[in-house]
Amino acid sequence: MVSLKRRKREGAGEFSTASMADITFLLLLFFLVSTVIDVDTGIGLTLPEYIPPEEQELAPLSKDRLAALLINENGDVLLNGEIIAIPQIKDNLVERIKSKIDLPKNKKLVVSIKTDRKTNYNLYIQALDEVKSAYFQVREEYALNHWGKKVKDLTDEQVKELREKIPIIISIAEPEQIK
Amino acid sequence: MKFQKKRAATKQGIPTSSMPDIIFMLLLFFMVATTLREQEVYVSFTLPEAKAIEKIENKRLISYIYVGKNGRIQIDDAIVQLKDIQDIMYKKRVALPNVIVSLRIDKNTNMGLVTDIQQALRKADARRINYSARMKE
Repeated sequence: MVSLKRRKREGAGEFSTASMADITFLLLLFFLVSTVIDVDTGIGLTLPEYIPPEEQELAPLSKDRLAALLINENGDVLLNGEIIAIPQIKDNLVERIKSKIDLPKNKKLVVSIKTDRKTNYNLYIQALDEVKSAYFQVREEYALNHWGKKVKDLTDEQVKELREKIPIIISIAEPEQIK
Repeated sequence: MKFQKKRAATKQGIPTSSMPDIIFMLLLFFMVATTLREQEVYVSFTLPEAKAIEKIENKRLISYIYVGKNGRIQIDDAIVQLKDIQDIMYKKRVALPNVIVSLRIDKNTNMGLVTDIQQALRKADARRINYSARMKE
């Protein structure tokens, strides 16, 4: 009787995985080249609600609370009517923000930024940046003095308190129409 | 006396069988961490630089407005006119109530145009904005 032998080919049922690495490398390279990691960074702000001109009310604001920043079309920066260089804005504001930490909510500093229609956008951003930096510095110091931590390590409740103590109030005034 | 060279019993050479797994892992990391640029930008602009900048955590909420060197405005995939911004943004705002509008504006733009866009945004009630800026070195 002829014995039936199953034929076994060598290496049957397997495929070589040696090229797998190459294939995945190729895929990896494709994704590396075709994608851009761009983290969106910028200065955040919330615009005021739109109120039609006829319904606008003028809210009286004491001079003590207001830091009026005016940037005109020549690039001059005026803080409360006095010419100031942009890098000085921060130091100027830090003191004023600090002095108002313990005051009630409706007595905090309001920074108003006003520009002309022809003011350079870059200048405006630089000024806004200074104002934000001033606030961040005060917040950072406050957090360090009260909790001994950095702002980013605070708990939610502490952040809430911090925001209440040092609110960032920036008002973007509408530019005057200069023809 | 005969000296014999000492040889380790194990084979030399790095096992390469786990190589695909490692590369797969890398691949997956890059696939997850990166986003494909979904829209073509038609206007050219240079962003201003600033120090006190924050990252926007939630990328899904962002809607971009580009303003180029020549004052052209782009939203999504099209160049738009100033007067159309309000309608477009209002629709976006209805679709996504807490939309963040990222303003990618060229640094030599006049504030007049920026203000006009801001006014349109206020009217459309899309009030959370972000002035896109690069980190100053």
